Amino acid sequence: MLTGDIEPSIKDAVSQLPPQAAKDLLSAGVCVRCIFRLFGIRGQVYSFPTLAPSLIYSQLEEVIDVDESIPRCSVEANGSLGGSDTDLGFCTICLGILQFSYHDAKDKVMKNQSPSDMASTIAQSVKQEGHSISDFSLEISIPPIILENEHAVRLHLKSKYGNEGWMQESNSSQIISVKESLKFSLTGLVENVLDAKSSLSEFRIRMTYTLSKSPKTIQNIMEKNKRFKKLKHGNEKLHSDGTDAGDADMANDRAEEIVKRTLKNLGDQQPSVFPPDKVTEPCSLVVACSRASIFFGGRYLKYSRNVSQSRWIIDDERMGEASVEEIIGSNILPLCRGDAYKFHAAGREDIDVRMLGSGRPFLVEVQNARDVPSRTSMREIEVKVNNVGSGLVKVKNLDLVGSQGWNLMREGEAEKQKQYAALVWISRPLEDVDVETVVSLKEMQILQKTPIRVLHRRSPLERGRTIHWMNIERIAGSSQYFLLHLCTQAGTYIKEFVHGDLGRTHPSIGSILGCRAEILQLDVTDVKMDCFMAD
Amino acid sequence: MEADHPQASVEAKSIGKRLEFVELAVVNQEGDKEATEEDELQRLLKPNVDELPVEPPSSVEFNFVRYFAPDFMKEGHDQYVYRHANGLCVIGLAPSHVAFKDDGGVTEVDFNVGKSDRSSMKVTGKRKRNAQHFESNSALCKVNTKDASYIVRCCVKGSLLEVNDRLIKQPGLLNSSADRDGYVAIVMPKPADWLKIKSSLISLDDYTKSRKT
Ligand SMILES: [Zn+2]
Repeated sequence: MLTGDIEPSIKDAVSQLPPQAAKDLLSAGVCVRCIFRLFGIRGQVYSFPTLAPSLIYSQLEEVIDVDESIPRCSVEANGSLGGSDTDLGFCTICLGILQFSYHDAKDKVMKNQSPSDMASTIAQSVKQEGHSISDFSLEISIPPIILENEHAVRLHLKSKYGNEGWMQESNSSQIISVKESLKFSLTGLVENVLDAKSSLSEFRIRMTYTLSKSPKTIQNIMEKNKRFKKLKHGNEKLHSDGTDAGDADMANDRAEEIVKRTLKNLGDQQPSVFPPDKVTEPCSLVVACSRASIFFGGRYLKYSRNVSQSRWIIDDERMGEASVEEIIGSNILPLCRGDAYKFHAAGREDIDVRMLGSGRPFLVEVQNARDVPSRTSMREIEVKVNNVGSGLVKVKNLDLVGSQGWNLMREGEAEKQKQYAALVWISRPLEDVDVETVVSLKEMQILQKTPIRVLHRRSPLERGRTIHWMNIERIAGSSQYFLLHLCTQAGTYIKEFVHGDLGRTHPSIGSILGCRAEILQLDVTDVKMDCFMAD
Repeated sequence: MEADHPQASVEAKSIGKRLEFVELAVVNQEGDKEATEEDELQRLLKPNVDELPVEPPSSVEFNFVRYFAPDFMKEGHDQYVYRHANGLCVIGLAPSHVAFKDDGGVTEVDFNVGKSDRSSMKVTGKRKRNAQHFESNSALCKVNTKDASYIVRCCVKGSLLEVNDRLIKQPGLLNSSADRDGYVAIVMPKPADWLKIKSSLISLDDYTKSRKT
């Protein structure tokens, strides 16, 4: 092969390698990219499609020819170095990962793919899922045994070349990890083929490599560690248990921790086994992508006394004609093409209570959204939901909020005040002095026993609550009906505050006015929280 | 409900080049929105007076089915059992109870009957720990008048959730509002037990008829 054909950047990278050590590694079945990364070479060079050992070998020969101080080594002569990257089996450190060789999802062996093949494979899985993305983060999970392999090779180099200048200068922190090297190889290409930027994105592409015919579980890795310590490297028959990618990620991550710790403890004391065993099976690769949940925040209004907040089904029978949760969630979900949605609201009102005025803060969490609507499209989404809500439910101040919207809503919930309008009837005509009495009561403390209507499922308790203020709005044409406007501490049972619940809430409107008071209708008119207000 | 001025926002977009104009329009739109929201709230809250009943059903009438146990274990010992849709039963003295016929009505209520003081039990938690299990003939309390004393009974087999201990200090509540603030206790029967008990009780209608004659 003519050295003139070699890319200048490859030539440059090769020239930085200690030639004898590099050749040594090549003949031990270490792949070119692993050699690069062991000697701290970074960047673009990893994404060149052809980095065959023979090519690099000849390049190294040339260097050695120039520098006669290093004796020639004749690996090539004994025929162990083929033209193709994996003729010798797969890389004895990275098990083929940096040679772009793997078992695919159908367990077909993919050998010597180019980085751009890999990028297309990744793009394929993104497109298959139907995601439209502008950015992504690439996450890689590898079997921890690779770290052990790396450690062993590193110790070999140290014992053999420990006296050479390059070895003394170098330290293990200059090694580029397999994960990082793989990113050097793929990131730019994936960016191009997806037309999206690599960043700390909410959209994750996860490449999970697992040993296909080797130990997978932590237990196995632990055994492996024990063997490592005992220096027994026998070939044991091991099996693959079909764990899925998610579990494998977990197992990989946890095992990696353990291996790293073990290796750190062992330090350099551990004599290495070199050359390593030939690798005949590449890892299995699963590419999966998903978007972290996106959150819509807003406030909802409920105009019906026959719509519950959440889907409410008792004995296969729906309570109420619809639910706020479903009207909002089921309309937002298809717009984002997500897998599922969850509805959260700051408190709730009874099914027969309307939510008017300010509306009530809510969050809709959409899982694995394929499309993320732009913030400028929020008004259109509101209109869409409101049309389908057909006057029962309406949303406003809809916006995309981060997951912190959740905390915002929870924090506000505890200390929020709520304002209501109650339609009240009393058993005698309302006098002006009654209005004065009621209006004069500020920050009034009341004691409420758990209402009878919920006592069957809640703890029997007596709680203190505050009625911050009250106002009476007379109704023209009626002397015994009026609208009671009141602002109360969160958690106050309003219906019981009006009728007294057999005297179990005290004082009550009835006890204050010294007559019987009944509540006919109740509406929430304001949920006093900072979140999801109009700008 | 109408959507929030969809036309207005479309218009605003179509003249997007004239920025000042658009901003002005947006300000007006927001101002209008606030005004219309307030109007809308007023409109929604305002009841239609013509549709309101002269006297609405009371919360007791509305939320409970009213049963009666006339002459329970003793003549004239008429009690009521008001059953909520959630299964809980409020127990009290029917208006025709013999105690109300005594001069001055009820003057004292004593929960210290049977083995324990009914008012000192503390039921806790959703599972109603410590709730005592009562038979329908278990005594809840004793009501005293000037000259006599009457035992009030549970009427319903079930867990006693609470007794109305306000009656200790305000026994007069029984004379003024025995069917509301003067209730005696709240009992939670098992559904199967309730079906049996129900057949031994009479309806409000039958009670009204029987006590008229
Ligand atoms: Zn490798």
